[in-house]
Amino acid sequence: MDWTPSPRRSSAMRREQNLAIIGAVVTGAVVAVGLILLLFARVNPTAGQSVREAALDLVTPIWGVVRAPFDGIGRAVDAGGNYLGAVSRADALETELAKAKAELQSADADRIALRQIKRLLMTAEPRRQLVATARIVSAAPGMASRTALVSAGRRQGVLPGMPVIGADGLIGRTVEAGENAARLLLLTDAASRIPVLIMRTGQAALLSGDGSPSMVLTDRLGPEEPLQPGDRLVSSGEGGVFPPGIPVGMIAELGAQQSDGSSTVGRGGPVRVRLAATPVGAGFVRIERPFAPLPGEVLVPMTDAPVPVEAQRGGGIKGAAVRGIDAQGSMGTGAP
Amino acid sequence: MPGLSVLVLVLLMTAPLPFPLPLMPPLAALAIFVWAMFQPGLMPPWLAFLLGLVADILFAQPMGVNATGFALVAGFVRWFEARYGHHAHGFDWGVAIAVMSCFIVLSWQLMALAGRPVPLAPMGWSWLTGLLAYPAVVTLCGVLQRAAFGRRQQ
Repeated sequence: MDWTPSPRRSSAMRREQNLAIIGAVVTGAVVAVGLILLLFARVNPTAGQSVREAALDLVTPIWGVVRAPFDGIGRAVDAGGNYLGAVSRADALETELAKAKAELQSADADRIALRQIKRLLMTAEPRRQLVATARIVSAAPGMASRTALVSAGRRQGVLPGMPVIGADGLIGRTVEAGENAARLLLLTDAASRIPVLIMRTGQAALLSGDGSPSMVLTDRLGPEEPLQPGDRLVSSGEGGVFPPGIPVGMIAELGAQQSDGSSTVGRGGPVRVRLAATPVGAGFVRIERPFAPLPGEVLVPMTDAPVPVEAQRGGGIKGAAVRGIDAQGSMGTGAP
Repeated sequence: MPGLSVLVLVLLMTAPLPFPLPLMPPLAALAIFVWAMFQPGLMPPWLAFLLGLVADILFAQPMGVNATGFALVAGFVRWFEARYGHHAHGFDWGVAIAVMSCFIVLSWQLMALAGRPVPLAPMGWSWLTGLLAYPAVVTLCGVLQRAAFGRRQQ
């Protein structure tokens, strides 16, 4: 048997190994903290919102200054292009104008009739209210989220949850507001859902963002009417955030057609919608008050405290309703 | 210096781009990868974690997505360098591509964990531009390293 002692590690080697172990422990601890933060963000999605709103006020002015010369160059290029293509554009616009005039004349009678009907029915309609007109400072699509920064914040009356509308159509809604800057959630973000109306068919539908430059048409309601490329979509006003009638986009791709080639297209794959307005180069946008905000929900506190058998027998309090009423009685809050 | 340069790149990643696609490369994650190779002592995982928190704040992502990802990138590179030593630029580029792939898939999963699931496909554009941006980030970090610490003694 060999009784010779094992070669001793040098102190430098031991130190290095100890440092490696400490490094691994610190890395593990840091990753664990990150995962806890994520779980906290899942439970409380508004966590850290005030910090993010403060950061908006720092970042937005920087890009506002940096992009100013690029905007100037862009305007110069646009002006040059407009000058070169002025004649052909004028011809096209004249043709379009003649067509629009004819449509306008027929629409005038409908508008008068609609006004009379609304007056007869005493229809109450909320009005659109402008909060601020602001400039889109940065509209960089990020790796995971599609947001943009605008140069107006709480000081200008902008709050989270307000619709943002560009010259060509809907852009998105505000999700965070600093003092002088706000962050928009663009329509293309995966968390974005817009209730729309298809102009030609009158069907209601839902548009969903999926991170790509276009949106997906889902949950189409109403009569089974085949869609056509070029069908225009406007906001329906449902949900109370976006005002109705704002152009959102047009159908660009009908998805997989049925094998018999029938006209029931748009049933076999996602129907993709090209957006009417893009935040890139949108310049100025309108930030409006939510069109018809839903009244605040009355929170009925719930408790899982057991109800005594005597109370259930005597008061006739049963089931899930018990818990709310019980809590109201004890906490003194909630609807009577 | 490494932390400051990553901070500047995080800020640069919020720059407006005139493209509808998410073409901005993950510059900050790449810089953490490179600094953890060049100066592991100056880019410990806890610093990468803090830089990731700043990125989460500026990118409007749930707190912890980039923080966890950056810390894991820094931790992995330290372990990899300690175990396998330094390599040629081409090999490091390949490792960077693999690490960025894992980083993007991890970010995708962490977004879902935070209750904000996003599709993976659009994130592929960032991966692609990140692959192309790697030499530029290495060059930038190399220049900064020479400026801050001088040329390495041969």
